[in-house]
Amino acid sequence: MEKAEIRSIYMLSGFLVGAFSLPFVVGVMTGYVIFDLRWLYDLITIILSGLMQGGVYAMFAVGLTLIFGVMRIINVAHGELVMLGAYLTWVLFNAPGFFGINVYVDPLLTMVITLPVVFVFGLTVQKLLLNAVVGGPELTPLLITFGLGISLINIVEWIFTTDYHTVAYAPHSVQLTDQIQISANKVISFAMAFVISMGVYMFLKLHRLGKAIRATAQNADVAMVCGIDIKRIYVITFALGASLAAAGGVLVSIQFAFNPETGLEYTIVAFAIIILGGRGNYIGALLGALMLGVLENLVSFMVPNGTAMVEIAAYALMIFVLLIRPRGLMGMKEG
Amino acid sequence: MSRRETVNHLMMMVIAFLLLLMLPEYLNVYHRSFVMFTMMYVVLASSWNIISGFTGYVSFGHVLFYGVGSYASAILVADHGWHWLATLPISMMVGLAFAIVIGFPVLRLKGPYFAIATLAASEGTRVLVTVWDDLTHGGLGISLPNVENSMETYYAMLVLMFVTIGTCYWVAHSRFGVRLNAIREDEVAAEGLGINTTLYKMTAFGLSAIFPAMAGAIQANKTLYIDPETEFFVLVTITMKLMAMFGGKGTVIGPIIGAVVLYSIQEYVWVTFPHAHLIAFGVFLILVARFMPRGLVGHAIDQGWWRKGMVH
Repeated sequence: MEKAEIRSIYMLSGFLVGAFSLPFVVGVMTGYVIFDLRWLYDLITIILSGLMQGGVYAMFAVGLTLIFGVMRIINVAHGELVMLGAYLTWVLFNAPGFFGINVYVDPLLTMVITLPVVFVFGLTVQKLLLNAVVGGPELTPLLITFGLGISLINIVEWIFTTDYHTVAYAPHSVQLTDQIQISANKVISFAMAFVISMGVYMFLKLHRLGKAIRATAQNADVAMVCGIDIKRIYVITFALGASLAAAGGVLVSIQFAFNPETGLEYTIVAFAIIILGGRGNYIGALLGALMLGVLENLVSFMVPNGTAMVEIAAYALMIFVLLIRPRGLMGMKEG
Repeated sequence: MSRRETVNHLMMMVIAFLLLLMLPEYLNVYHRSFVMFTMMYVVLASSWNIISGFTGYVSFGHVLFYGVGSYASAILVADHGWHWLATLPISMMVGLAFAIVIGFPVLRLKGPYFAIATLAASEGTRVLVTVWDDLTHGGLGISLPNVENSMETYYAMLVLMFVTIGTCYWVAHSRFGVRLNAIREDEVAAEGLGINTTLYKMTAFGLSAIFPAMAGAIQANKTLYIDPETEFFVLVTITMKLMAMFGGKGTVIGPIIGAVVLYSIQEYVWVTFPHAHLIAFGVFLILVARFMPRGLVGHAIDQGWWRKGMVH
């Protein structure tokens, strides 16, 4: 390895150690950190729920990294797809209620409908808008997806207004020990996220189509020469990424309140993750998601005014990683 | 570009200035503020054009400067009792300071990464402004003392607009602008030719930050109420970007045409259908990016309807 390469790895790890210890330092200075047993249990709870939240983040980060890896397109409407997934879940969850039947549909069951709907939506978007601009100037797809995002936000806002919605599902919590408990929603979504991301990983590793997707990501020209229909691969990849985002949306909907404008936040979170993990790298995105989840929870736990500062943590992380080591943890080299 | 053409352009600008100077006497308050906001968007689109059109660094976070400028002015007027005109230089300095602090790291990034980093910077600043409520009154926003100043703000915006257009004109016709274009086309080659790219990029970024900051300050004193959600609204960035792109980025006249046309349409559509206006906005952005990336002016040049030197 070159010297600059090694130095950037050291700098990145130094930065990450600094980033993770900063909340502790701030907490000690402002008196939010008290070293006793109670606090220690709280800390463990926070880290665990951070990991679980990271699992949800992984869902949309993986979709974004897949799209980027194959087409070199940055999908700015990714957060809006998450939001779309959350709204579809909400609608289906309450659907029997609209007909006067007093039953709720299980949110996890709604995936059977939500994911195909968003898959088809992704297919359409890629076919109509993006296929023509892959490989062109890098900013055109950015602007197109941005425009798509604005339209989506306002269509949803038109139908559902800007009110916050939640899906009330599994409100109880899971007792791990006497002191440590985690809300059941988080455990369920983490398990779902784990199953889905492992499923997609296996698909990419083993299935013929998955192999074709990876080949296109490595080198589109060679893949084309080998007889892979890359336009078709592009369409499938975008649709797959979009439905992963929607799956993330389903998991978001059972944990957090959402409104049409929450999408942008998730877009930036997903970027921060894929930049930390390395653009286009699947495992990197999973790792980055877990790290960001833990970091956000540490910040909101120990820093005064923490819940608002959480967003800044993601933004700062992204900008610093771009400056120190643009490849991130395990991304490919540029150029 | 001959000397005669420059003189012609100068004459045109002076005539436009005089016309706009006399105009408000004949307008009611609504139309006066409509013209003022059109001029504000000319300022925003033109200054976005300096960093993104001439230099090729497409910023997705320009609302940042607009927001900090308006906040600097509003805080001084509301909490410290300054006269609003006196706050304009301070707003400019604050905008410049933010441009330096943010530009220094972010301008090393290229293409989409620059775009995303600026978006993150503007969203991060919005959160900071919301959180730091000792200084900024947080999410409640700041109410300014109630005064009728639609005439004063109109004239201030008019002067600011012509200063901005003049700066863009100078950039387009000077060596400085040629070097910015060189950076846009090929940064490595520009550096190889001995251009101090960092200095030039920083100067362009600073120039494109001070005008939105002052526009924000004037706007804050016109609307008399600001809060983080509206002052750091992503849509403002997109509006200026779309205006500049629609008119033709990298030209002086493009952003002006784009701002005037789009703001007029937007005002009409907004009044008629509040929601459809933003949906149409997104669709329009897609269509412009997809089918007319060089804008109206670029399209006219490509078709041979318009001579290149005339509009540059």
